[in-house]
Amino acid sequence: MDRTSTPAVELDGVTRRYGETTAVGDLSLSIQDGEFFTLVGPSGCGKTTTLRLIAGFEDPTQGGIRFGGESVTGVPPEDRDVGVVFQNYALFPHMSVGENVGYGLSFTDPPGGGSDEARVRELLELVDLGEMADRDPDTLSGGQQQRVAMARALAPGPDVLLLDEPMSALDAKLRERLRVQVREIQQELGITTIYVTHDQEEALAVSDHVAVMHDGTPEQVAPPRTIYREPATEFVATFVGDNNVLSGEVTAVRSTDDADDNGDGSEQSIADVTVDDATFSVALNGDSDPTAAVSSGDRLTFCVRPERLAVDADRNALTATVTSAEFLGETTRVHLDWEGRELLLRTEDPPTGTVTVGFAPTDAHIVDRQP
Amino acid sequence: MARDSDGGAAKDRGEVSTATASSANQEQRRRIRNSVERRAIVGLAVATIALLLGIFYYPVATVFIDSVLVEGRWTGRVFVSILQDPFYLGEPARLLAGEPAGAVIEAFLSPDRRLGVIGFTAYQAALSTVASVALGLPAAYLLARYEFPGRRTLRSLTILPFVLPSIMVGVGFVATFGRNGTLNAVLGALGLGQVDLLFTLEAVVIAHAFYNAPLVARVTTAAWESVDASAVETARSLGASPLRAFRDVVAPQLYPSVLMGAALTFVFTFSTFPIVLALGGFQLATVEVFVYRLIRDLEYAEAAALALIELGISLGLLYAYLRYEAKHTVQSRGIRPLPRRPLRPPSLSVRELLPRMGLTVYAVVALAVFVAPIASMVLASLSGPEGLTLANYQFLIDRQTTGASFQVQPWDAVRNSLLFGVASLAVALPMGVVVAVLTTRDYRGRKVVDAVAMAPLAVSGIVVGLGLLRGLVFGVEVGGSRIAVGGGLAIVAAHAVAGYPFVVRTVAPGLESIDHTLVESARALGAPRARALLDIELPLVWPAVVAGAAFAFAISIGEFSATVVLASGTNQFTMPIAIERFIGRRLGPATAMGVVLLVVTSASFLLIDRLGGDDVGF
Repeated sequence: MDRTSTPAVELDGVTRRYGETTAVGDLSLSIQDGEFFTLVGPSGCGKTTTLRLIAGFEDPTQGGIRFGGESVTGVPPEDRDVGVVFQNYALFPHMSVGENVGYGLSFTDPPGGGSDEARVRELLELVDLGEMADRDPDTLSGGQQQRVAMARALAPGPDVLLLDEPMSALDAKLRERLRVQVREIQQELGITTIYVTHDQEEALAVSDHVAVMHDGTPEQVAPPRTIYREPATEFVATFVGDNNVLSGEVTAVRSTDDADDNGDGSEQSIADVTVDDATFSVALNGDSDPTAAVSSGDRLTFCVRPERLAVDADRNALTATVTSAEFLGETTRVHLDWEGRELLLRTEDPPTGTVTVGFAPTDAHIVDRQP
Repeated sequence: MARDSDGGAAKDRGEVSTATASSANQEQRRRIRNSVERRAIVGLAVATIALLLGIFYYPVATVFIDSVLVEGRWTGRVFVSILQDPFYLGEPARLLAGEPAGAVIEAFLSPDRRLGVIGFTAYQAALSTVASVALGLPAAYLLARYEFPGRRTLRSLTILPFVLPSIMVGVGFVATFGRNGTLNAVLGALGLGQVDLLFTLEAVVIAHAFYNAPLVARVTTAAWESVDASAVETARSLGASPLRAFRDVVAPQLYPSVLMGAALTFVFTFSTFPIVLALGGFQLATVEVFVYRLIRDLEYAEAAALALIELGISLGLLYAYLRYEAKHTVQSRGIRPLPRRPLRPPSLSVRELLPRMGLTVYAVVALAVFVAPIASMVLASLSGPEGLTLANYQFLIDRQTTGASFQVQPWDAVRNSLLFGVASLAVALPMGVVVAVLTTRDYRGRKVVDAVAMAPLAVSGIVVGLGLLRGLVFGVEVGGSRIAVGGGLAIVAAHAVAGYPFVVRTVAPGLESIDHTLVESARALGAPRARALLDIELPLVWPAVVAGAAFAFAISIGEFSATVVLASGTNQFTMPIAIERFIGRRLGPATAMGVVLLVVTSASFLLIDRLGGDDVGF
C-alpha cells in the first residue's frame, strides 16, 4: 500500500462531545485509499460515533475531517459520496429489493454509464441475490437483508464504504461466511472501507489495518498481526484475544546471546522482572518501542498469551493450581490460580491439580513501563 | 469527492468540462433540484409558522389588546372590575376588592355563598371530572383485564368522543332527558313519575362524563396494558395477596394516567361551551357561555378579558399538571402484559363472580350514559306524533325549498360544513405534517416550537373566533390599505387551527417511531433531507397522515365555538350551528340534522380507526 499518497479519509484531532460526555476525544486517523480499515472496541468506546462523524450524520465539536485531502466540514451526508450499511440494515420496508438498491441512483448516474436497471442487476448479482429484485425486504433472511443493504450502499459507486456492525445481528456461522464475502467484494471493487465492530476476532480476520478504540481514543492502529503479537497497551493486550498480564519491578537488565534465552541464538536484551517472589526473564521490545529503554528499578507490565504458556517448561516457571477448565473444541482454556492471580492457559491436553507452566522470554511482550 | 460542497465546486467545474455537454446539463439540473429540496423543509417551516401567526397568534393577540385597550387608552380596568365582581368570582372577589378577609371567609362558609360564574364553572368541572373518572375506570378495568368479542372495537370507540360534535351530543341528551325524552318514556312505561333533568347541573355533568370518561378509560387502559406481568408475579411469589400486589405494583403505574385523564377532563370541562349552551341554557352559564353572551351583546372588552382569565386558569392548570407529570412519570416497559381473563366466569366462585357482577351493573350505567343519547337522537329524528315518520327529514328538505332567506337553510348548512371541512383540511393537513416533522427533530428550541404549535389545543374556539372576527373579518390596516377577509375564510382558518393539532398528534408518534437509520441510509445514498422525508418517512406514516386528515375533517364538521361567533349574522352557518338554531324550537329537525352529522363523523371515525387511531398521542 502506498503510504505516501493522500489518505482517502483523514481525521485530524476530531472531538465529539454530547454535553459533558466526550464520545470521541482528539482522534486522529488516516485511512489509505482502497484499504479495509476496522474500528474495534467495547461498546461505548466511540467507534460508532467516529463512523457517524465520517458519514456526516454528526458534526465534530472540534477538529476536521478530510476526504482525499479536501475538508468535508459542513458537507451534508448526501454529498459525501459514502455508502453506509447499518447494523439493522435499514432497508426501506415500503420498497422492493430492487427499488432499495436503485434508490441512490435517483441522485446520481450509475458509475461507468449504463442504465439504472442494469446497475441494480449488476449489484444484486455481486451479492448473489440476482433473482430477488422484486421481493419484499421483509421476506428475506437476515443474511440476505445484509447483502441487499451492501448492494444498496455500493450502487451509486461511493468513494468510501462505511459498515456499522453489519454482522452483529447474525448467527456465528453466517457471520463468518459473510465477512469473507464482504472482504472479497471489497477487494474486487478496491473500495476504501471503514468497518466498525465490537468483535475483535472479526476485526483481525478481515482488516488491512485495525484501530483498537478505548474511551474515545485509539489505543493502537496497526495491521492485525501486529495488534495481536505486539499490543501497544495493556488494554489492547487484554481486549484482543486472551492474555496474561503481569507487572513487577526490574531488578536487572542484561544483554545475552545465550541460545537458551531465545531460540535463534541472536543477541537479545533481557530484563529480569520480579513479580511478588518470582523473577521472570522478559525480552525487551525493539528499539523503536518507547518501552524499550528499560533500566533497573522501572516497573514493567508485560503479557504472555495463554497458548505461549507451556506445561512443565523450566524457563520462567511458576507453579499454579488449576481452578477450572473450558473445553473449546480444538483447545481447552484452563483457568489457573497463581498466588491469588488468575492466569489462563491454552492447551490441547488440560492438566489437573497443581501444574508448573513457563514461557520463553521472547514470548513475553512488554505493554507498559513506569520509570 | 464532496460533490456539491463549496470547496468541491471549483473542482467539479473542471471535471464537468471534460464530460459531455448533456451530462453537464443534467448535473446542473440535478444541482438546482437538490438545492431547492435542501431548502424545502426550512421554507415549509417558515410558511407554517407565518400561517400560524396569522390565523392563531394574531387573532388571540387581538383579543388580548381588546381587553386592555379601551377607547384608545391602555388600561387594566376591565380585568380589575371582573376580578372584583362577585358575579364572576363569587365571594373571593370581595377579597380582591379590598374587603376584610374575615367577613369574606364567613360569607364563603355560609350556606348562601356565591360562587360566581368562574366559581360555578370550576365547581361543575370538578363534578364532571369525578363523574368521568368514576365512569372511566371500570371501563379501563374491563378493557385491560378481560377478553371478550368486540373488545378491540370497544377500545377503539374510546376515541369517538374526539370527533363527535358536542352540539350533536347536546341534542342527544335533550332527546334523552327532555320532558318528552326517552328517559321519561321509559319511566312512564314502568309506571314511575316524570323527571325533568334538562337545564339541571346533573344533565351537564352526565354529558361531560359522556365526553371525558372514554378519555380517562383510554389513557388508563394503555397504562394498565403496559404493566409487566412478571412484576406482579414477582410480588405474588414474594408473598403478596392479589389485592396487595395490585395496590403495590399495578396501582402506582396507573395513578399518573388517571391523573392525566382527570387533569385533561377538568381543563376541557372548565372551558365547556356547546354542551352547556344546549343543556344548561343561560341559567347554568359557565364562563365560556358568558363570553359568548358578551360577544352577542357587543361587549368585546369584557368578553375578551373574561376569555383571557379563563385561558389563564386553563393554562395554569395544564402547566401545573405537566410539571407534576414530568416529576412523576413511571417508565414502564410492558414486555409481557397481564393476561386477560375471559368475561364468562370459569367457575362459580365468589371471587370470579363478584367482579363480573360489578361489570354487569357498570354495563347498564354505561349503556344509559353512552348509548342512550345517540340512540335517542336517532329515534327522535324518526318519530313524530303518530309514531315512526320521516317528517323531520322531510322538514329539512321542505325548509330548503320554501324557507325564507333569513331562515336556516338545511342544505346550505350541509354544503357549508363540507366546504369548510375540505378547505380547512387543505390547510390543517400540511400544517400538521410540517409541525409533526418540526417537533420530532432534535434541535435546540424544539420544546418551544412544540409549545407554540400545540397552544391552539388549550385555547378555546370562542377566543380564536372572537380574535378572527375583531381582526381579519372587521379588517386590518396594513400600510394604509384595509385588509378584510370574509366570514367563510375566517371560519376555515378557525377550523384549521382547531384541527391541525390532531394531525400533529397522529403523525408525530409515527415519525418518532421511524428508525432514524432509514433516513440516514437515504441521505448517505444522496437524498437531501426533504427528499428523505418525501421518499421514506411520509410513505411509512401514510396511514397516520390519513387518520390525521380524517380527524381534522371531523373536527371541522363538528366545530361549534368559533363558528358560532363568526357565523352570527351571516349565512355561513354549518350543521352544528343549524342544530343550535333548531334545538330550542324544533327538536325533531335538530335531531334529524344531528343524524346527518353523526353519519359524516362516523365515517371519519371509521377511517381514523382503520388507519392507526391507536397511535394518537393522547
